[in-house]
Amino acid sequence: MKRIVVEGLKYKYPLADSLALNDVTFDIKQGEFIGIIGKNLAGKSTLCQALVGLVPHFYKGAYGGKVFVGGLEVKNHSIADISLKVGMVFQNPFTQVTGSKMTVYEEIAFGLENIGVPRSEIIERIDSVLNLLKIEQVKDHNPFDLSGGQMQRMAIASIIAMKPDILVLDEPTSQLDPAGSEEVFQAIQSLSKQGITVILAEHKMEKIAQYCDRVLLLNNGKVVDFDTPGKVFSREDLEEKGVTAPVYTRVCKALGVKKAGTDEYPVTLEEAERVLRGDGA
Amino acid sequence: MKSISLYEEGTSFVHDVDPITKLWYIPFAILIPIILPLFTVSFLLIGLSLALLLAAKVIRKTIPVFGFVFLILITVVLIQGMFKPENETVLFQIGPLTMYKEGLLFALTITLRVINIIGAFMILVLTTKPSDLVEALVRKGMSPRIGYVVVSVFQIIPEMMATMSTITDAQRARGMETEGKLLVRIKAFLPLLGPVVLGSLINTKERAMALEVRGFNSQAPKTFLYEEKTYQFSKILQMGMLLLTVAAVVWRIFL
Amino acid sequence: MIKIANLSFSYNKETPVLTGIKLEFDRRSTAIIGQNGAGKTTFVKLLKGLLKADEGEILIHDHNVNRKTAAQLARTIGLVFQNPNDQIFKRTVLDEVMFGPLNIKMDKQTAKEKAIEALKMVELDGKLEMNPHDLSLSEKKLLCIASVVAMETDIIIFDEPTIAQDHGGKEKIRQIIQALKDKNKLVMTIIHDMDFVAENFERTIVFTEGKVLLDGDTRYVFSQKELLETACVEAPGITKLAERLGFKDTVITVEEFINLKQTCSPPR
Repeated sequence: MKRIVVEGLKYKYPLADSLALNDVTFDIKQGEFIGIIGKNLAGKSTLCQALVGLVPHFYKGAYGGKVFVGGLEVKNHSIADISLKVGMVFQNPFTQVTGSKMTVYEEIAFGLENIGVPRSEIIERIDSVLNLLKIEQVKDHNPFDLSGGQMQRMAIASIIAMKPDILVLDEPTSQLDPAGSEEVFQAIQSLSKQGITVILAEHKMEKIAQYCDRVLLLNNGKVVDFDTPGKVFSREDLEEKGVTAPVYTRVCKALGVKKAGTDEYPVTLEEAERVLRGDGA
Repeated sequence: MKSISLYEEGTSFVHDVDPITKLWYIPFAILIPIILPLFTVSFLLIGLSLALLLAAKVIRKTIPVFGFVFLILITVVLIQGMFKPENETVLFQIGPLTMYKEGLLFALTITLRVINIIGAFMILVLTTKPSDLVEALVRKGMSPRIGYVVVSVFQIIPEMMATMSTITDAQRARGMETEGKLLVRIKAFLPLLGPVVLGSLINTKERAMALEVRGFNSQAPKTFLYEEKTYQFSKILQMGMLLLTVAAVVWRIFL
Repeated sequence: MIKIANLSFSYNKETPVLTGIKLEFDRRSTAIIGQNGAGKTTFVKLLKGLLKADEGEILIHDHNVNRKTAAQLARTIGLVFQNPNDQIFKRTVLDEVMFGPLNIKMDKQTAKEKAIEALKMVELDGKLEMNPHDLSLSEKKLLCIASVVAMETDIIIFDEPTIAQDHGGKEKIRQIIQALKDKNKLVMTIIHDMDFVAENFERTIVFTEGKVLLDGDTRYVFSQKELLETACVEAPGITKLAERLGFKDTVITVEEFINLKQTCSPPR
């Protein structure tokens, strides 16, 4: 079942001279884990925001084409309506804290209160997401006192509690240390395994290769490729598009070893190990 | 995380009273002495407020506030006592300075009113969590947006102070002298305002987006995590204050 | 160049941030790694004189840091902050970069020359009259680097330079670091990107819970797998791959890996 359909999406920010997204078309099935890659200003954030309605409703600007998420056409629905279907997590954990709540527990309740979830269900949902994101131990702390990794997991918990079936994340780990990033990726993966459709924009290619089913490569607002990590990272023109392949892919490319029976280079540590062992090292 | 709220946690019955009733108490304490301009009435109300503050064990926290207010009130007493145009009855003299009865009585009225108002506000501020007050008001029909702004200020201002110190460090790091004479400090302070304002604008935009995707503008009727805080006697207290006010008006008109 | 003895610091009495740090720095480029909260940023703030140590002393070129203000230290030691928005406050790109040099009493002409030279390095010399806030985030970061480089300090410290940089941005930062090394400056950075550490820094120091856990040549540090784990730090991907394949030596760059692989495996 298709959860997201984007057809000929074009978008220009107000005051901008050029299109941020130029004729973007793709679709995503229920439960897929999708990575969005590309250099800075390639349109990754804009695309993420177009899936939750921030583009065009928050920014205004010139908009063309169609975006359907979970059956809703984004252009014709408010962000509040769309937020019931699609949740979004941003780059900076700090600015996602509402600042109006004194504890993590209350912070997670914020969205649920807004959309009018009954009290008993609010409590049920908070308890379940605290457990899912492994932040029960800090539930009574002030949100601003958490570490970056905990804060970002709280942000994800706050969104997941609203039960969207699509989760969009825009570089959620760029401000975190390796341990914090790993915590967040583990959490996202467990959500993906529960059937939530995940769309993740990220610069950390090793992580993209490890976790994603398919990778959408953007350049200058256009879709260059949308395929498995193996196919996308094996492209010869990757560096021209401002993307470095995972280190495992680069090393195998330099050595000229491909995965057996395919035209693809390995993209993860495990794949590279397997292929290079077979090579007789 | 420092919050700039003055709220003091506690278990007294004053803490248990719901925020709306405490809010009622403020206009009540202000109106009664205006309706009945007798010193006895003012003293009674001040006594009541102080008793409540004592019962809530927060009286110590009021000392700096009252201290500051007294400083201003002393100037009021001196100026009114010496220079009020209606002054004619000399009360006493210190050197060349003469104190008059009319002025001092007027100053006393003002002093009592101010102490009274401060006392009533202190009860609310010191024994009510800001978020509880706002939540109670939102339940009564205040816009949740206004409620959000009011509550978030308490946390976001300390956060801005933290940013301010990072920015100061960034400029010191590039050789700007920020230590030393007052003039040096002032010169160093002004350029900091630009990044602080800009930084908070950027943060505000990001935060606004984060709020949007959490249904901030949802049309659905809002629900609340906590059950409404009720106090068994709030209706009685509120009615009591209303009746007393009406009684005061009646007294004033007919007696 | 820098000598640190018995350095301790805490923001409040109960929780020490740094305890008993003893380090010496020569001109080797140095990466400082470790989890958030390990004390890395506090450490560089102490070096820079932005904080004062509770105990111990820091000598830079034999001068005691404790006796100087941060502004006086600005001539010897430069620090690029993590968030460019905390740093930028002039109206044009050129003024922003000239601000530091003018503060340390360079004359206007020299300051301008140094500024333009530094802006060339980050390829922003075509945008001298632009408002810094109209630049993209990664350009802003480069601008902040230029504004510290222009001060020609002997020591230059970066705080997370590669965050929010794509492939092209990282490449530029790599070149800047190389150019500074060529000028015989001490380059130090706080960083989480281990591949970048392995490829660009000679020495690596691992902080954990306010102490120095490991210190030495980058290769040696990344060979200490167990210790790294206790600091929640991972070796670079290529190091892990080489280890899994049973390479005897610790490998830290892709080139080394390829060389080793080509010399030890039979040609196909």
